[in-house]
Amino acid sequence: MRLPRLLRTTPFRLTLLFLALFAAAACAFLAYIYIATAGEVTRRADAQVSREMHALEAIYRRGGFAALNEAVIERSSGDRPLLYLLMTSGGLPVSGSIGRSPVLDPSGDHTWASFALTQKDPDGSTTRRPARGLEERLAGGEWLFVGADVGESEAYVVKILHALWGAAALVIVLGLAGGVLVSRDVSRNITSLTDVIAAARGGDLGARARVRGSGDEYDELAGGLNDMLERLERSIGGLRHAGDAIAHDLRSPLTRLRARLEAAMIDADAGRADPKLALHQALEDADGVLRTFAAVLAIARLEAAGDAPGQTPFDTGALAADMAELYEPLCEDKGLDFRAELTPGLMVKGNREFIAQALANILDNAVKYTPTGGAVMLRVRRRSSGDTEISVTDTGPGVPAAERTRVVERFVRLENSRNAPGAGLGLSLVAAVARSHRGHLELDEGPGAVEGMGPGLRVALVLPKVG
Amino acid sequence: MRVLIVEDDLEASRAMAKGLTEAGHECSAAPDGEAGLAAAAADRFDVLIVDRMMPRLDGVAMVERLRAAGDQTPVLFLSALGEIHDRVSGLNAGGDDYLVKPYAFAELIARVEALARRRETGSVQTLLKVGDLEMDLLGREVRRAGRSIDLQPREFQLLEFLMRNAGQSVTRTMLLEKVWEYHFDPQTNVIDVHISRLRAKIDKGFEHPMLQTVRGAGYRLEA
Repeated sequence: MRLPRLLRTTPFRLTLLFLALFAAAACAFLAYIYIATAGEVTRRADAQVSREMHALEAIYRRGGFAALNEAVIERSSGDRPLLYLLMTSGGLPVSGSIGRSPVLDPSGDHTWASFALTQKDPDGSTTRRPARGLEERLAGGEWLFVGADVGESEAYVVKILHALWGAAALVIVLGLAGGVLVSRDVSRNITSLTDVIAAARGGDLGARARVRGSGDEYDELAGGLNDMLERLERSIGGLRHAGDAIAHDLRSPLTRLRARLEAAMIDADAGRADPKLALHQALEDADGVLRTFAAVLAIARLEAAGDAPGQTPFDTGALAADMAELYEPLCEDKGLDFRAELTPGLMVKGNREFIAQALANILDNAVKYTPTGGAVMLRVRRRSSGDTEISVTDTGPGVPAAERTRVVERFVRLENSRNAPGAGLGLSLVAAVARSHRGHLELDEGPGAVEGMGPGLRVALVLPKVG
Repeated sequence: MRVLIVEDDLEASRAMAKGLTEAGHECSAAPDGEAGLAAAAADRFDVLIVDRMMPRLDGVAMVERLRAAGDQTPVLFLSALGEIHDRVSGLNAGGDDYLVKPYAFAELIARVEALARRRETGSVQTLLKVGDLEMDLLGREVRRAGRSIDLQPREFQLLEFLMRNAGQSVTRTMLLEKVWEYHFDPQTNVIDVHISRLRAKIDKGFEHPMLQTVRGAGYRLEA
């Protein structure tokens, strides 16, 4: 038989376990209280009885039986709380407040007994009250019994016990109720999470767990789950997009390549043309396809990896100086004014090779799109936020503000750059590198339009500060 | 030069052998790591070309065993895995160079020849000499026909690499890897510009140009 869902939850089981532990502890506690109080009552009564017994024995020793008899008569008629009975050696009552000894079978000279005392109430009913007493054989063979009524104290103990039992019952009821409430709360929270997981498993990656904003561990869990789904959705979306883009951007050059080869074959068959030229072009086409493929792969890997692998601290200024040294002759060759303003000693933690590649892509673009007579400026500086900024500013045509987010997407090339070589993956790779270092890519206008040039473009790779 | 090609893709292996034979080298082939080890043990080769991913015994494991057995023949790894850590693990296993598939033929031949050459010359040379061009590695001085040539530090490194591989083609990628130590393909002709600057310094004013462009491959320094 399946238990109701609520009773199967972990918190409810834990509640039961704690209740069981508590009940065991409560039993032990009650037992202790009982022994302590009830035992105390008996001990006190016994002490009182013993004291009285000694006092009466002293009177007997001093004044003999008559004096004792007198004392018993006197004490029995007073309002002493004790019970007395003096008997002959044959067991016949002589004097006292009770008519008969409760000790039926005295063994030896000295016998303790617990017994019930029947008391007549004014309304005619009788109550039985617990009592304790000691019977002793006196030196002359007579018997003396002294008892104490422990009813009052016993009633007190019983009251305490009742209160304790009541409290224990209350605690168990409250504990169970609390357990049910906690279990329901936990299972409600967990259910909302498992629902999201089930939805995601069913293919709905857009499902998100509710974050209540209380900042507790459920919120943390829900936040983590949402973050994970977000990444998963993004990377699957990226894959899907990459698939479409690859299909588009690899299919067209491959189609061109195939057409070229086919035409060359026909020409060669007919003896019309030397196939060498066609082969050369085909080789170039193939290289282009391979470059595109390599770039797509690199982006996909970076995005799949989350954080770039192989990150070590390095000096961005030194890396930029290296790249400046690599690109400066190229700029000069093209008639571009190249300048570098590099703050040394700005350490970032990252994959040096990826950052170098990203910077090379940015510089490649700047050199490619800036016309002769323009300028390219490489800068490394620390922002007031502590982030490190590596930027390249050129005086080329720039990118219209509306297009800036789009050019970072894969395979997007602006209309006017269709004829320039490249697969349109340069900036996407830079953006992927930035993301994999928890940084970002910024595109802005350059220095503005001057003398038929510009407005230019400023591309900044922003990397978070170390630590 | 004798080259052993260890590659499970027989078509790729045949194409490589054809190209290398045409370039004047003698080739043997093995289809997997086990066969590669046996072939390397049975014969003496100048360079081994080893594919990284192969059945039975993969390239990395094969080279590790080869090195453990004391064989120091230069190894060029071929791999479809081009990430930096793949490269590093390949080189750590005892590979001497690493080429990512797909590659241009000229690139493969240039690298194989550079590996074989490095073995011939050894590395403890302080004076390099190609024709009338001399490089003093200790004094950091370059002279051509007795005339001192002033070079920037990077130009010096570039020329050193070209001189160590004199008479052989070196590709742009090789230069970027060995001189600048970057492992990516720049889209623009950054390397060409550095070469032309160097060329202006060492060839200008001399009748015989030493630094030549090899079409479809790269550059070559000729005596």
